[in-house]
Amino acid sequence: MITARALTKTYGETTAVDGIDFTVRPGLVTGFLGPNGAGKSTTMRMVIGLDRPTAGEVRVNDHRYADTPAPLREVGALLEARSVHPGRSALDHLRWLAATNGIPRSRVDAVLEQVGLGAVAARRVGKFSLGMGQRLGIAAALLGDPPVIVLDEPVNGLDPEGIRWVRTLARELAAEGRTVMVSSHLMSEMALTADHLLVIGRGRILADCSMSDFISEHAASYVRVRSPQQVVLAETLQARGLAVTAYDGELRVDGRDAVTIGDTAAAAGLTLHELTVVSSSLEEAFMTLTADSVDYHATTGAAA
Amino acid sequence: MSATAIGTTERATASYPPQTFGRVLHGEWIKFWSVRSTRWSLVALVVLGVGLTAMICASSADWLASGDADESPGSFVTWGMMLAQVTGVVLGAMVVTSEYGTGMIRSTLAAVPRRGRVLAAKAVVLTGVLLVAGTVTAFAGYLAGNFFLDRAGVGVPLDGDGVVRALFGNGLYLATLGLLTAAVGLLVRHTAAALSIVLGTVFVVGTMANLLPGTWGEWVSKLLPGNAGMTIATPVSFNPEALGPWTGFGVLVLETVVVLAAGWWALVRRDA
Repeated sequence: MITARALTKTYGETTAVDGIDFTVRPGLVTGFLGPNGAGKSTTMRMVIGLDRPTAGEVRVNDHRYADTPAPLREVGALLEARSVHPGRSALDHLRWLAATNGIPRSRVDAVLEQVGLGAVAARRVGKFSLGMGQRLGIAAALLGDPPVIVLDEPVNGLDPEGIRWVRTLARELAAEGRTVMVSSHLMSEMALTADHLLVIGRGRILADCSMSDFISEHAASYVRVRSPQQVVLAETLQARGLAVTAYDGELRVDGRDAVTIGDTAAAAGLTLHELTVVSSSLEEAFMTLTADSVDYHATTGAAA
Repeated sequence: MSATAIGTTERATASYPPQTFGRVLHGEWIKFWSVRSTRWSLVALVVLGVGLTAMICASSADWLASGDADESPGSFVTWGMMLAQVTGVVLGAMVVTSEYGTGMIRSTLAAVPRRGRVLAAKAVVLTGVLLVAGTVTAFAGYLAGNFFLDRAGVGVPLDGDGVVRALFGNGLYLATLGLLTAAVGLLVRHTAAALSIVLGTVFVVGTMANLLPGTWGEWVSKLLPGNAGMTIATPVSFNPEALGPWTGFGVLVLETVVVLAAGWWALVRRDA
């Protein structure tokens, strides 16, 4: 369980995290979603005590991370940038981490195998690809077999197979009853991984709901129907209990049941010119939600 | 609501042995020896400390034995260590600044959130290794250099005035100078900056300070860390103005403690 209360971080004039409250619960994958610069990494750094909150606080299992008696046994974190000395081997990196928390050597070998780095454990990390570096970071997060796992942009640099692996891993960890917090700037990624969603933009929480609620609320879909007999068709469809809205030259029927609409029209002898299922994607919903909170819009034509 | 229901299946946190200072120290020890810069620095320490002392003694033995010599052979048996101290500065910087340069510091402070322990463990590993390596190198350099002085009849006996003190003093000086550099590293968080500050202070400012006018300049020169600390590391100082060996070393220790306190404060208070 991770709990933030009025958590705030300012750097000079800039407010990176603006008094946010949230709870990340065990047994679920909580997706922490927001555009770049929204405050995701800053928040996650505050969770594990790397950055000191300007105001408010964040607690892990009901205490501050710094007061934890056995840190890596309690929280495992993959941090955004590389946090490893390139001259050290993967094995040595995990060995020193394990030593500081009294984790047995056998566990080091186990996580190296688990993330698929067993064969390259003796190689210096500087020679690793971005994806291998991410796997090492995940190995470090799993090292202490912690009940709380924080992964900042874990799929960065991974190939499709690696992305699928991270997804499955996150879901398995949550299924084991762990608290799993995963950040991403990609809605599509979160849609496949997360049970619960925290959307952050400009340092504020914009949405805090289950993934299914977010989908039903934001990713509405409808069927577009065009007909020369629009008025009659609208009445006929409404008589079938469908929610119909008339627009200029088209009808929009809530839901995605094109079959019922087509059958109903045919039974009534009405002509259809178009019958199209229109889904607004989650990505669009996310864009709309965070549109006002993006710091760096791409512009065309204008000089930067 | 379903989220809350699932949320109640919280995984129990097993009771683990708490993180002790000994564990943190063990972690820092593994870290220290698992990068190549450590071994290279120590090789450089031995090559410079022993090699240069042997060379300067071999080439100066005849001059020292002649009547023209205006320096004491005691100044020559630790000569190489004057340059070899650079390796202690490098190691002291790397122990801290390589972590900031590579982002390692985030892993370190996530694994050991009690930051004071990180600093204490680094200090113990660094000073312990430099104390031993500096003393061993100084003894080896003395034996190699004195071999040539002995042949010319101007050997410096081990039980001679200040010789044993100077050899152990090299370990003490190197360890303290390394720790001072590590402390500077905590403040500047940058390898090149930490090296420039300490090497600049010891070698450049230390030599130029006596150009300052009057007794004021004399004192600045005496109290600078290199000038103050180096007298403990040689039986006879080249610099007749310098403070006595233990007084000078005391000044260096005091300066190190002050910078270390500032470094500790920066480590504990600043974001990683």
